[in-house]
Amino acid sequence: MYSLSWLILFLPLAGFLVLSWFGNRMPKFIAGWFACATVGGAFLVTLLMLAQLYTENPADRLNHIQTLYPWVVSEGFSLNLSILVDPLSVFMLLVVTGVGCLIHVYSIGYMHHDKEFRRFFAYMNLFIFAMSLLVLAADFFFLIVGWALVGLASYLLIGFWTEKKSAVLAARKAFVMNVIGDVGMVIAAFMIFEQFGTLNYVDVFKAAPTAFFPNDDSILLITFLLLVGAFAKSAQIPLHTWLPDAMEGPTPVSALIHAATMVTAGVYLVARCNALFTMAPFTMYLIAAVGVITALFAGSIGMVQYDIKRVIAYSTMSQIGFMFLAVGVGVFSVGMFHLMTHAFFKALLFLGAGSVIHGMKDEQDIRKMGGLRYAMPITFITFLIAALALAGFPLTAGFFSKEEIVMNAYHGQYGNFVFWGLAIVAVGMTGFYTFRLFFYTFMGQSRTPEAHPHESPMVMTAPLMVLAGLSLLGGFLGPWAHDFLSPVFGGALPVHHDDAMLEIIAVAAALGGILTAVAIYMTGKDQLAFAKQMLAPIYEALFNKYYVDEIYDFLIVKPVKGIGKFMEERAEKLGIDFSVDEVGRQVREVSRGISFWQSGKVRLYALNMVAGMVTVLLFVIFM
Amino acid sequence: MDFILTGIVFLPLFAAIVIMMMKLAGDKNGMVIGIAGGASLLTFLGAMVLLVRFDSHHHGMQFVQSVEWVSMLHIYYKVGVDGISLWLVVLTSLLGVLAVYFSRGQKKNLQYFLALILILESGTLGVFVAMDSILFYVFWELMLVPAYFLIGFWGEGNKVYATTKFVIYTLVGSLLMLVGIIWVTVVHYDLTQTLTFDIPTLLQTQMPADIQFYMFVCFFMAFAIKIPIFPFHSWLPHAYVSCPIPALILITGAMSKAGAYGLIRFCLPLFPETIADWGLWIGTAAAGGIVYGAWIAVAQRDLKALVAYSSISHLGFIALGIFAFNGQGVEGSVLQMVNHGIIASALFIIVGILETRLGTRQLDKFRGLKKPMPVLYAMFMLITLAALGMPGLNGFVGEFLILMGVWGSHLLAGMAGLFVLAAGLAIVFASIYMLFMFQGAMQEPVEEMHDNVKDLDRREIGLLVPACILVVMIGLYPKGIVDRVSPAVDHVLHMEKKYKSLDADSGHGGGH
Repeated sequence: MYSLSWLILFLPLAGFLVLSWFGNRMPKFIAGWFACATVGGAFLVTLLMLAQLYTENPADRLNHIQTLYPWVVSEGFSLNLSILVDPLSVFMLLVVTGVGCLIHVYSIGYMHHDKEFRRFFAYMNLFIFAMSLLVLAADFFFLIVGWALVGLASYLLIGFWTEKKSAVLAARKAFVMNVIGDVGMVIAAFMIFEQFGTLNYVDVFKAAPTAFFPNDDSILLITFLLLVGAFAKSAQIPLHTWLPDAMEGPTPVSALIHAATMVTAGVYLVARCNALFTMAPFTMYLIAAVGVITALFAGSIGMVQYDIKRVIAYSTMSQIGFMFLAVGVGVFSVGMFHLMTHAFFKALLFLGAGSVIHGMKDEQDIRKMGGLRYAMPITFITFLIAALALAGFPLTAGFFSKEEIVMNAYHGQYGNFVFWGLAIVAVGMTGFYTFRLFFYTFMGQSRTPEAHPHESPMVMTAPLMVLAGLSLLGGFLGPWAHDFLSPVFGGALPVHHDDAMLEIIAVAAALGGILTAVAIYMTGKDQLAFAKQMLAPIYEALFNKYYVDEIYDFLIVKPVKGIGKFMEERAEKLGIDFSVDEVGRQVREVSRGISFWQSGKVRLYALNMVAGMVTVLLFVIFM
Repeated sequence: MDFILTGIVFLPLFAAIVIMMMKLAGDKNGMVIGIAGGASLLTFLGAMVLLVRFDSHHHGMQFVQSVEWVSMLHIYYKVGVDGISLWLVVLTSLLGVLAVYFSRGQKKNLQYFLALILILESGTLGVFVAMDSILFYVFWELMLVPAYFLIGFWGEGNKVYATTKFVIYTLVGSLLMLVGIIWVTVVHYDLTQTLTFDIPTLLQTQMPADIQFYMFVCFFMAFAIKIPIFPFHSWLPHAYVSCPIPALILITGAMSKAGAYGLIRFCLPLFPETIADWGLWIGTAAAGGIVYGAWIAVAQRDLKALVAYSSISHLGFIALGIFAFNGQGVEGSVLQMVNHGIIASALFIIVGILETRLGTRQLDKFRGLKKPMPVLYAMFMLITLAALGMPGLNGFVGEFLILMGVWGSHLLAGMAGLFVLAAGLAIVFASIYMLFMFQGAMQEPVEEMHDNVKDLDRREIGLLVPACILVVMIGLYPKGIVDRVSPAVDHVLHMEKKYKSLDADSGHGGGH
């Protein structure tokens, strides 16, 4: 059965190729459903793999490798294109293809009026292919290939509306920042190859525990370089600035790539390389610290933004921060669990936002919405469910995963009081910005009376309802997830810590955030004017995203351009080029001087000959 | 099959002579194009035959043909290919076809233009197959002559300055190389009392340690200028910007590879000790060039200049890989030569197409071309991605192997990390300038529609399709190329010295 795993890669790839070559000759209807079918097919194959894994003992579920073909052989370095089926890759693929399939279906409705409908679906299929490659890769090389290809798909889809200048710029920014991450990973791969003589996961992870002492320089450097890639892809500080801009793409793209799947690849990477990261406790602290700081940082920005998609984008950053906190404190399966529940409710949130934007005729400013609960009942209910799950309301999916993270931030192997405290604040913020958004959008009265919002068609609301079900009930998958994933993480199940005090504080923080939002925004009016004036400097800083973009522009973008210009004008034209020309000029000068002796005047030649002979004679006689 | 290489090398030259002799009454350009195109296609087919019949397990020269040329000096006409030159022959013959077909647009004196293009192709092919060092030198200079006229007559801008600079600069190098060639033969004669210019024999000669450095410089300067390696590159921007694009396809795609090929063919096996001493410095220059070219490319607005500076950067990769002095580095370099030949020529073809459509190459003057030119958009995107090193396409494979070689290189051990970081910086810059170029030209809204802007016609699609296919194919299955290269590279890197002076062993202990 494992030999069918190549279909997971092949189906979306075939979808991409067929749609990009023949798409324009297909009716829209067929093109759209064809794209969904390829992803659905990949999902079914993944289910098959899951079933197959269950026929085996947990310990035997690892390391099922399918080699497709030999890729390159160069002195001492040989590489096959091969696929690794194990609980972690199947778990991740379930999310990718499952949520991906729902979002594909949704897109048929959302993109219905777009002129380039088929190109959109071609790119979406390309993304699913790339993401599957990233997940299924059996070695670091193809991990990097998949890593870069998802970046490419993300670039293509952020800049899907190529005639929109802001989208084009956002796409370029995302691409370049991701290339920085890719370079980090490539160097990490070199170091791994130098250390282990191979890039295969199986061999590397098997050798890792004996190859290093904990916190060796080399393992620290390897894990740090891998992290550069992970942070760039997952929009963690300081490589996060591309994600909010990425919202320029169509909303289903934001749901699929910039919420549910691609941006969580960094968490997957850390989980996948757990054998390496556990050898580097310092790096683990770094991961947890960056994660929790990003959670706070993004959450605080999300509290004051007005663009519906940007609020959710900052929330995504913040939630991925939670996932990094989880893997950083050493509970990998908890991080993966939150990755899954987050995929459900965040995809739902984005799709709901898309439904709102669709119904409001491309309006994204929440100040111009309000009162949508009557016009869009299904969107309203499902959005509420997603908001509750995101905020961590008890018994929703987000509650279970986040509760485990907060608990482990304190009790986990690398957990401590500081991580826990910061996480609690971030949990409170989550409740606040989520419901601020919710009340602005759905409650109160409509603030633009001329708009005539309408509920979205069935093809869009059906995926919403499926995801709403998952967001409500997905939390109960937790024990299954931990059990299923445990072989990958050395067989250990995360310990459940019974600490009623911490649990109560976490729930109280989440509810507190929600209630604050209720108190302030319930009526749909902004009652914060006074507070805003009081806290103006802080508000300004938050509203302008801590000025990070401006700082980068000043510190990096401008100098790079300036130095480029300077090198062209000074070093190139006045330095190298000038000196080469100068050599030529000097040679010409010298030869002009010499040419005096070769003037063609016979009398001068004769004179020279005589002078020469005299000199020689004098020399011979007197010396 | 002994004549196949000779056929491949001389067919374009022969066609060129025929074309030049033709008396054209009225407008018979069609016939000229027919002859030139036919000859270049036949050449390409010949190269394909080579590829098919090539024995990939054998490290030595194949398809060898040897005829005495100047008997008194034991100079032979001797040609052959091994795994390294095989791909360069294939590449050159492919680019020859593209160059001839792209020349159709040339209005001025098409007859002689095509003839010169064909001579350039012959010269380049000759360099890659020559097995006699004097023959190598003859072909080496044969490349230069047509390039001089192509830039000087058909060029643009400051063309006389550009072509003079180009020719004098490269001539300085090649004259030094001539000195080196004779010197090597003299050393060999001293040791064995036989006069020969046969390259495989000469390569097995141990060069005396005390003069090795000076001999190395003679060869190295010629090759470093031809590639070019930073800081000997200053002819390149002028020459590339002035050069007509059909000629540029061959000059950037094939001729610049002659330098890198020479480094692998002569410098690595002949002067391993000198390279051990100076490799780090050359590596530094190469790595510097990688960043330097990329950084300047970021600031360019003229598309041709942008591609020219990006070429400096990419050629720096090739040089760096060679001086990693190990299997991955050199094999990556050979692969990257092929890749750069494909990608850079395709980019220049695209720039040429844009220029004929819009009458300008200034990036600020046009945008939003996706709408009128969807086919070009797709192909341009693919080539752009290959150029910026997107994994899954060919550029990445070469860069990855090269940098992996650099990382594990004993020669560059002290600085390897720094070089790889520099290359990484250049890769980031590459994504900036390539996207800048692609997006700037093709995306964003158009202010006023260019009415006369038509999408690619069949002929132009035909010019870009080979590049598009190869970019994907090599990316997916590099083994097909690398497998044929690696025996030859191993042979070069571990060449045994048959001819040594007796005191060479004792005098040369473990010093290096």
